Parts: sequence; structure tokens; C-alpha cells
Amino acid sequence: MNRTTDTIIAPRRLRLGPDDKPVIFAAGFVLLILLVGTGYTVYTQGNAPLLQPQYLLQQLQVGSFLGIVSAGLMVVILLGHIDLSVPWTLTAAAMMATAVGGPWAIPAGIGVGLLVGIVNGLGVAYLRVPSMIFTLGMNAVMRGLMVAHTGGFAPATAATDLMQYLAVSRIGGVIPVALLVWLAVSIVAVAILTRTTLGRAIYAIGNRERAAYLSGIDTNRVILIAFALSGAAAGLAGVLLAGYSTKAYQGMGDAYLLPAIAAVVIGGTNILGGRGRYLGTLVGVILIVLLNSVLSIMQMPEAGRQIIYGCVIISMLLVYGRGGRVTG
Amino acid sequence: MPAPASFFALENISKRYGGVHALRDVDFACNRGSIHAVLGENGAGKSTLMKIMTGVVQPDEGRMTLEGAPVTFPNPAAANRAGIVCIFQELSLMPELTVADNITLSRPPRRFGFIDGRAQRLRSEELLARIGCEDINPLSRVSDLPLSRRQMVEIAKALGRDPKLLILDEATSALTSADVDRVYRMLFELKARDLSILYISHRMHEIEALADRCSVFRNGRHIETFAKGSRSNDEIVGLMIGREIEGQFPPKLRRTRPAPLITIRDLSWEDRLNGVGLEAGRGEIVGLGGLDGQGQKELLLALFGVLRGVRGTVTLEGEPTAATSPKAAKSGQARMALVPEDRKSEGLILSMSIADNISMASLDRLSHGMFIDAGRTRRAVERAIEQLRIKTGNSGDPVSTLSGGNQQKVVIAKWLATNPDIILLNDPTRGIDVGTKQEIYRLMRELAEQGACILFYSTDYEELIGCCDRVAVMYDGRVVRELEGEAITERNLIASALNIVEQREPAHV
Repeated sequence: MNRTTDTIIAPRRLRLGPDDKPVIFAAGFVLLILLVGTGYTVYTQGNAPLLQPQYLLQQLQVGSFLGIVSAGLMVVILLGHIDLSVPWTLTAAAMMATAVGGPWAIPAGIGVGLLVGIVNGLGVAYLRVPSMIFTLGMNAVMRGLMVAHTGGFAPATAATDLMQYLAVSRIGGVIPVALLVWLAVSIVAVAILTRTTLGRAIYAIGNRERAAYLSGIDTNRVILIAFALSGAAAGLAGVLLAGYSTKAYQGMGDAYLLPAIAAVVIGGTNILGGRGRYLGTLVGVILIVLLNSVLSIMQMPEAGRQIIYGCVIISMLLVYGRGGRVTG
Repeated sequence: MPAPASFFALENISKRYGGVHALRDVDFACNRGSIHAVLGENGAGKSTLMKIMTGVVQPDEGRMTLEGAPVTFPNPAAANRAGIVCIFQELSLMPELTVADNITLSRPPRRFGFIDGRAQRLRSEELLARIGCEDINPLSRVSDLPLSRRQMVEIAKALGRDPKLLILDEATSALTSADVDRVYRMLFELKARDLSILYISHRMHEIEALADRCSVFRNGRHIETFAKGSRSNDEIVGLMIGREIEGQFPPKLRRTRPAPLITIRDLSWEDRLNGVGLEAGRGEIVGLGGLDGQGQKELLLALFGVLRGVRGTVTLEGEPTAATSPKAAKSGQARMALVPEDRKSEGLILSMSIADNISMASLDRLSHGMFIDAGRTRRAVERAIEQLRIKTGNSGDPVSTLSGGNQQKVVIAKWLATNPDIILLNDPTRGIDVGTKQEIYRLMRELAEQGACILFYSTDYEELIGCCDRVAVMYDGRVVRELEGEAITERNLIASALNIVEQREPAHV
């Protein structure tokens, strides 16, 4: 109990001091990963492919999908909720986009995500079902629907040219378009979180929903919108991922839930809500992507990769993720 | 006064938070078998002193001696082991656990390694009986108890730790007067058993009734310690605020009763409100009196749209309305504002900045479409800080860094920014120092004169008498009597609160 009393009166010189620390720490860890990876390749192969722009851009392109998912998820986590329906929201969006095809492929994909998000929001905000349960249920529902839709096989439909362009192409052969999409999503996320009444309300609800409600904030509406944003982001990521692999397939979203939560939390967002900066999430995504990549370059077997990956997440949280939440 | 050897002494204690000196070079000592009152405005350093004594924070400089031997307390558990126990102002109970679980939380009785539920219950019953609260069932959940009962549980919990030095930080601010009497008796009994008791309170009559010695703090310094009775109340208040105080309450204007802005008819909710009828007009401060828990808080919450299933009618400027949410209440025909009961959990978002809190309720006025206008918000916040004289270094600091009185000012500033017509105040001066209280009284009168209608619930009769044009006394979820003008006296208030109709006053019944 008294831990919290400590933090209430802890001195804070810089306004964003407590939020800056995780960002700086995560950025430092990104450099460390690059250094260790480069050391390894120099030692074994005599060159340093990790420091080449081509490699880094490639990683950012791959990271874009995770980045977009994380941006949406962060909004929900800031509320003190969680969206566990990400894997099959993403998959369903990809499958619907390829199934619809043509100019409506992308709106259909994002629309599916938005719809799932709205259902999640209605359940969490108005029916007051804990988000962990409700979104987990929605994940299962979407999975069932998609299995029914495809008969359990990979759908035969293919991604449209525009989807492939957004996911794979490079402007001038250098800048990946996917990276620009991620950048656009990031700008929207930063604007919402720092400049709008919606963003302010999200932080307020994440800190103390009752006080926010008594201040005349329509808390249910804010929760609904946040889940809708998360769903739409997962939908967009699904569309891009389908474009990247030219088609949709079963389980394509499975690899995105845990890394997305990890990226958000490593970036300093409080898993219980109310605190966190978007920049942290951005750095968190880069960290996760580079870590995966360097471990595979080092030819770490899958089992070892999983263990290291898990240990890194836990140890980073040990450094800065504990306590510090003012509970009054 | 012959000073016995000090039980617990602090020498040259200093504590800084950032650039702010919370305590400067403080010497302080307390003795066994005495009740020692600590006085001072909010922000004077009392709370920091208590936190240092109980190991919650560490002093930057200075040393402490317990019964002559130097001690340090790296954490609260160490202070507890040394027999120093504090009942903090904010409640530290676990709402979802039972009363018995809470009372024995730190040292549950064990049998074969498991918690012994029976022993735990008996121990809790015994402790509750010591403070005269046999009516609290140790097996009920804390969240089911009203605030005043929870406070008694908190006291029982502290007693359960066998304190040698017991510190009460505003421990009676939420209590009913019957409970306050019980606490007094308990304190005298503990004093007779040679305990040392530190008592922090803003209520002068409590200090008069209890304390043997008083220490006054101001701006982080220990100003003076004296035996009770050697200073008059005025002198003590003068020491606390460092200046002479003028009349405690602003003068009331004599005038005829204005046309009602809000008319409440037959308002009912569950079994807590049973047909409340009340009117209030612009320029009026209408008090809600009565014993604790007679439906005053529920009335304010019902008006503000927080409660579900409210029956009855509320008309604003002749228009029937029924606010269904705080959002509707603050943006309706006549805008309402509610300063809630618990500023730490309902009024403020402690970890967010002062500026964010002040602008929280008026964001729709400070934005274009969905985007917040940063310049306009900054100016509004600066204006509010200046208007209410909120003492703050930087409006970007978390609101939790402010003292209690200044936090309450932030809550009020947040609502004044919405330019409300009807202001609902739920015990706004609870746990606040004298100086800030007076500022709030003056502000209430100013707002009324500017045309606001104020409904003011207070547990302090003096406040109701000093501030209100009219007082509606509630009993069992109804307004049983309205007192107006000269008829607002302590005697009438108490008589009506007990629902004893003894004499007819020239007042509206």
C-alpha cells in the first residue's frame, strides 16, 4: 500500500520525466541489439549487413504491420482494457478484402475490423463485460466465421494490386510504401492522443474512470470509439499483410497479438492504463522486430528464440514497468 | 510545564521535494501519556512530518530518537514494529475484503499455518468493541459500509497493532458526532495507559476538547509548541496563517427570496430518498443539513444524473428535466456542476497534471471540433489558477503534488470553467485548512452574487450557519424542515436533524 504513497509525492522535474525513461531505455536496447548482431556477423562472416540501410528499411517494412496493430492496441491499453481479438480480426479483414476484391477490397477489410471493434466496444462499454473475456470471445467467433467461410482452407482469392502495392512496393525503389502507411497511422495516433478531447478522455478514463465520468465525459462513447479504432487498425494491418503475401490464409494474425502487447508495454505504456506515449510504442515495435531478426540471423533455434524473446520482455518490464501507478 | 523525557524526538529534520522545502530544520518531540495536537494550514508540513515519523518517506537531514535511542525507519513496517502507528487521512482499507480481514491484515492470527477465521473474528469484535462499534459486523464487506463506519474500522485496525505512539491524521473528518465521542473516549483511555498520541485536525473545538499540548506548523517550520489554554483560539489561528484573520464568513445579503431556478418535487431513489421537495433560486446558497447519511449525498448525485432509477420531477427554469448523466447535467438548460465527496477518487485524476484536471470538464468549450485549442486552454488554466489562488509551481505538475486545500481548489476551478448555473457542493471543506476554507466561503458568496444557485451539503453546523441563506434539514431521505435567516441556529439545526419539532420558528416547514 505504501509504495503508492511514495510515488504520489515523488519529485518530478520534467513534465514527461517518468514517461521518457522507458522510451530512452528501449531505444538504448535497440542499439544494443544492433551492436550484438553486428558483432556476431563481423565475427562469423566478416561483414556487417545489419547496419546497411537496405536491411534496416526491410525490417521497418516488415515492422509496419506490427506497428499498425500496436497503434490501435495502445489506445485500448491506455483505457486500462485489452483487445485480444486482434489475431482473427486481422485474419477476417484480410480474407474479406481478398474475397471482395476490386476497388472495394481495402474498405471492406478495414470495415470488417471496424465492425468487430464496434461490437467489442459495445460489449465492454455498455454491457460492461470485462474486455479480456469479451474480446477473447469475439476472437473465437471471428475464427469460427472464417472457418465456415473458407471451409477451413486457405481461400483461393488473391490480394488486389493496390493491396500489394501498399504492402510490397517501394517508392523510387527505396522507401517502402508500407512504412509510409505506418507513418500516416502514427501521425493520426499522435494527433488523437495529444491534441483531441478524445485523447484526453482516454487518458482520464485509464487513470480513473469514475472521476472522468463525474467530470461529464461520456465514458461509454470513448470506450466504444477506442475499441473501434483498435479494430480498424487490425483490419488495416490484415489488408496490408494479405497484400504482402498476395493472399489471405488461416492463422495469419496469430503472430501479432503477443508482440503487439509487448511492443506497447515495452514502450512504457502502463498495462493498467492511463499512462504512456506513442513514441514509446514506436520504439517498442522496432525493438521487437529487430530482436526477432537478429536472433534469426544468429541462427538461434526456434526454442531458444522464444526463450530469449520472453526473457527480454520480462526483464525490460522489471527495469521500468513496475509500480509507479498512482492509485490514490 | 515540567517536561518529562521525550518518548519520540526529531531533531533538525529537513525534507525537500524538488525545489520545495516541505520541512525545514524541524525539532519536534512528543511524550508518553499525552495527546499532542499538530496544527497548521494544508501544505504547512504536517503530513510530511507524519510520513517521516512512520517511515513512509525518509528525511534528507536530521535524526530521530525513540526513547533516547537513535532510530531510522526505512519503511512503514519498521515504524510499525517500533510501535508507531498512523491512521492516515485517506482510507487504507481493502473494500472487497471483510472488516475482520482488514483489521488483522498485517498480522492475521494463524493456526497450523492457516489463517484462523474464528480467532480473526473474535479479535476484530474485541477491537471494535473497544471503540464502541459493536454494531459493525466483522464479516461484512468494507465496501458495504458507509464512509463513517469505514473510518471506525480504520481506527480499530490501527489499535490492533498495539501502538505506543498513535498518530491520527484528520481521522475524525468523516465521522458522525456519536462516533467522534467514542473516539474521544478511546483516546482518553489510551492516554491513561501511557500512550503517546499525535492528533492532527483542523477542527478547533476538537483540539480544545482533547489536546494537552499543541504545536503549530507553518511553511514547513515548527513555529511554536505550547500547553493547551495558554493561547486563545484567535492567537492560534494567527500563528497558523501568520496573519490576523478577519470575519470567518462573508456577510450575507438581506433580500427577498428569488424566483426558483430549480424546483425539486417528490424525488425518490431506492430507500435513500423518500420524496424530497426543495426549491432554490439564483443568488441563493441553500444548505443541506441533518445527520450524516440522511440522503443529502444521494440528492446531489440524483440531481447530477449519476443515479439510475430516480423518480420524481426536477424542473429547471420551469422546464422539466431529468439529467441522465453528468454530461447531460453539465450541458443542459441550466448547467450544473458537482464538487463530489471524495476529491482524490471522484473529483480529481491525481496522476494527471493540474492543467489537465482544470480543463477536464470544459474541454468542449476549449476545442474546435475534436481538437483542443492549446492556447485557449492554457489561458483558461492560468485564469483559474489566478482566480482561485491555487499555490502551484507549474501547472504541468501532477495534481497529486498539491496540498489537500489546493487540490480542492482545482476541483472547484474545474467546474467554474464550465460557467455553471447550479453548483452542487458535497462537503467541499472536508479536511481543509482554515485559510482555504475561508477562501471557499468567500468564493461561494461571490458566485451566488453573480447569479449562481448553490446547494451546499456540509457536516459542519458552523458552516451552514455562516454560509447559507436557507438550510433544508434532511431526515430519512426527506426534507423535514427549512430554516431561513435568523432561524438558522445550531439549536434549530440539531433539533430538526433529530426530527424533533419543538417550537415553531418563523420559517418554512
